[in-house]
Amino acid sequence: MKADATTLLQAGGLTLRLGGRRAVDAVSLDLRGGEWVALVGPNGAGKSTLLQLLAGLRHADGGSVRLAGRALQAWPARERAQRLAWLSQQGEADGDIAAADVVRLGRLPRHGLFGAPDASDEVAVAAAMAETASTEFAGRRLNELSGGERQRVLLARALAVGSPVLLLDEPTTHLDAPHQRALLRSLVARARCGAAVLSVLHDVTLALAADRVLVMDQGRLVADGAPADAALRAALVAVFGASFSVECVNSPTGPRWVALPAL
Amino acid sequence: MTDSSPAMKTILRRFTAPALLALALAGGGAVAAAAAQVTDDRGRTLMLPVPPQRIVSLLPSLTEMVCELRACGRLVGTDRFSNWPEAVRALPKLGGLEDSQIERIVALKPDLVLTAVSARAIERLEALGLPVLALEPRNGVETQRVIERVALALGDPAAGAALLARIESRIAAAAERVPLALRGRTVYFEVAANPYAAGEASFVGELLARLQLVNIVPASMGPFPQLNPEFVLRAQPAVVMATATAVAEMPGRPGWKSLLALQRGQVCGFAAGAYDTLVRPGPRLGDAAEVIADCLLRLGTVPQ
Amino acid sequence: MNQAHPARKAAAAAAPAAVPQAGRATGRFGTPLGLAAALAAAALLLLVLGLAAGSQGWSFAWGEDAELITAIRAPRSMGALLAGALLGLSGAIAQGLFRNPLADPYLLGSAAGAGLGVVLVLAAGGLLGASLGLAATGALLRLGLVGAAFGGALVGMALTLVLARGAGRPMVLLLAGVVVGVLLTALSDLVILLSPEALRGKQVFLLGTTSFFGWPSVAVLAAAVVLVLPLAMKLSRTLDALVLGEASAASLGLPLPRLRLALVALMALATGTAVAQAGLVAFVGLVAPHLVRRLVVTRHGALLALSALAGGVLLLAADIAARSMIAPQELPVGVLTAVFGGGYLLLLLRQRLAR
Repeated sequence: MKADATTLLQAGGLTLRLGGRRAVDAVSLDLRGGEWVALVGPNGAGKSTLLQLLAGLRHADGGSVRLAGRALQAWPARERAQRLAWLSQQGEADGDIAAADVVRLGRLPRHGLFGAPDASDEVAVAAAMAETASTEFAGRRLNELSGGERQRVLLARALAVGSPVLLLDEPTTHLDAPHQRALLRSLVARARCGAAVLSVLHDVTLALAADRVLVMDQGRLVADGAPADAALRAALVAVFGASFSVECVNSPTGPRWVALPAL
Repeated sequence: MTDSSPAMKTILRRFTAPALLALALAGGGAVAAAAAQVTDDRGRTLMLPVPPQRIVSLLPSLTEMVCELRACGRLVGTDRFSNWPEAVRALPKLGGLEDSQIERIVALKPDLVLTAVSARAIERLEALGLPVLALEPRNGVETQRVIERVALALGDPAAGAALLARIESRIAAAAERVPLALRGRTVYFEVAANPYAAGEASFVGELLARLQLVNIVPASMGPFPQLNPEFVLRAQPAVVMATATAVAEMPGRPGWKSLLALQRGQVCGFAAGAYDTLVRPGPRLGDAAEVIADCLLRLGTVPQ
Repeated sequence: MNQAHPARKAAAAAAPAAVPQAGRATGRFGTPLGLAAALAAAALLLLVLGLAAGSQGWSFAWGEDAELITAIRAPRSMGALLAGALLGLSGAIAQGLFRNPLADPYLLGSAAGAGLGVVLVLAAGGLLGASLGLAATGALLRLGLVGAAFGGALVGMALTLVLARGAGRPMVLLLAGVVVGVLLTALSDLVILLSPEALRGKQVFLLGTTSFFGWPSVAVLAAAVVLVLPLAMKLSRTLDALVLGEASAASLGLPLPRLRLALVALMALATGTAVAQAGLVAFVGLVAPHLVRRLVVTRHGALLALSALAGGVLLLAADIAARSMIAPQELPVGVLTAVFGGGYLLLLLRQRLAR
């Protein structure tokens, strides 16, 4: 685990005890700029908790997180927020404000609570909404949107931050296939432009499209590698109790790894 | 003994009948005085074979009536708000109307409980076998009736009539003492801030009418209406009456400086004890009338 | 909802159009600016009516009644408008802080605290009346009631904050507020039991009153509005961020506990001042922001200002109705706000059931 110039987020030996058991158990990983990493694992593996630790929303019992080489705790809150955006798994967002205003919240880290938004903020907001195809309901209340529309607005909020590190917890929830595809394309584009994207995904096939896959089970990181890596694929299958197999198929866009459910 | 003289026989014959008659009358009279039948405000009739000797009163006005009817010594307990006369303050306090202490009342073994119609304890006490009279005087006429019935229950109806006569004469005397210049003038009597006034139809309103003062609040507005302050200012009463503390803060109210009565000091601010007699419909009507007459006398004349 | 037509989606993706300003977003009523104009017009109309509603019914003969108008009706109407504004503003803050559209400003122990303060002063006034001079007692009572209600409201909220150990967790804060409310109400009932003269005064206080608003009261209320409204609007983005949820708002770099504490403090100031002057007027703080939110789509900044305006209109309307319906008698203004407020909620209920 060598830290190099493009390592944006680095975790070493992260441990968190919750209710007597280790929700996260000595997890070390690093996120480098320019790659899209998928985090998968069975229910209760600790994926969301790990993401919260990486985002600084929880304090670990052991280990450390470094953002751009500096301890996460040492960053002032606003500057940390400019460099690290987090999307929650739960849909606890709830309010009557317009969707566009929800997305604009993503710019808060840049201009601060008392600062005024400027043209660059508007451009970022517009771009994020276009990326998530949510421009058409920009003026509608958040609570009046359907599940998929809400998710796209919340995603746009996270994208609007424009941070080099993106931590997304189940970003594909409620999204139908076309929108899932659009989202993944968006994440890949961001990654290509230098961002480090870590997304928890429940769909293993989608995860296999990532540059790197992290596999978690019972709080521990059991595998970390590219889908092309056989060891990773084996660990993946094992962790899910061999309920599927990973195959390489030829698709119109080239060879792809897919998870085939074992029936 | 065998041969009583004929004279003795005649005497016996002559005096036996009247003696028996006298005895019969006395005995009958005693029976008539003792067996009282009183109907209370709930319409229930209570039979009291002997005048009650251990009385519990749960309403201050009823306590006062018992004492004014010279049966104060027969009281064994009162509610916590009964504070007149001095003698009752030493008696056990048995709670208020809402929270009467049932056990303590029963432990006192009363043979009559006087209380208000709205008391929650009535059912309990009656279920425990206590005789309860529920009486609640709200105005002058009702007070009169209640005094009569309490006197009847105490076994001394004559005392009731006497008390009523005393009260009446005191009110009449107080009415006489009202300065001529103030008779027929208007009055504003405030019972609570906001302002709530006592109108003609209220108990104290009746008293003020007896003392020949005209209430700015007519009977049509009910006994205790909440008024728009402008109403008072427009009416410009000749005399303003309220508790002493209320009177003290009246000039501070917006616009009330223009009340002529305040400017000229034509105000009656009653101390707490005196104020009680004014708002409690009870036997101290005479006292109340005198309190008001005293104040009016002090005020002197009022220019037109 | 249906997904966008593929062609339209492609067009949107190709050329990100400027996102509509929230100000131009339309709700059922229209734009926030439109609503503001309508409410301002309503306020002006009601102020005129307020100057005409007297003990003899409606009268526009202002020449002869000039004294009554300037001394009584004008400050009373202004006072009702300002007190209602403070309550509407507090209600909007409460609903945003607790993310509950039915929250009201009395949630954090302010109502119970103010009630206890009033009862203590009334009881003390009864006791001290004998020893202090009468004028002094009168002055003490007048000033003391207002001061005690204000102080009591602040103490109630401070107790809540202490119990909840700060404003860090909204659920804990809410629970603490309920506990404090229950405790202080029980204390106040105990005092009334020991000193029954205080009961009448407390009833009057609970029902709400505008009868004795003078110009000094208006000045105090205006000062509170001028102080609290701009500060609250500056902090209003916190309430926007809270829409995302606690954790997400924190991830945006906001110091939430401190911001919440500041908002609670502002709420305490506004509620305390309004309650001290007008008593515990019901429903204004709940209905005004709720109604505004239904009528327009807007961020919390504009919502706070509009709620203040709506609250003022509501209380002034209730006050005018209270004065004029059975003139020269008056209804307690709290009864009317309850009728208006209850009626609105009933309407809401029926709409919900009809769906």
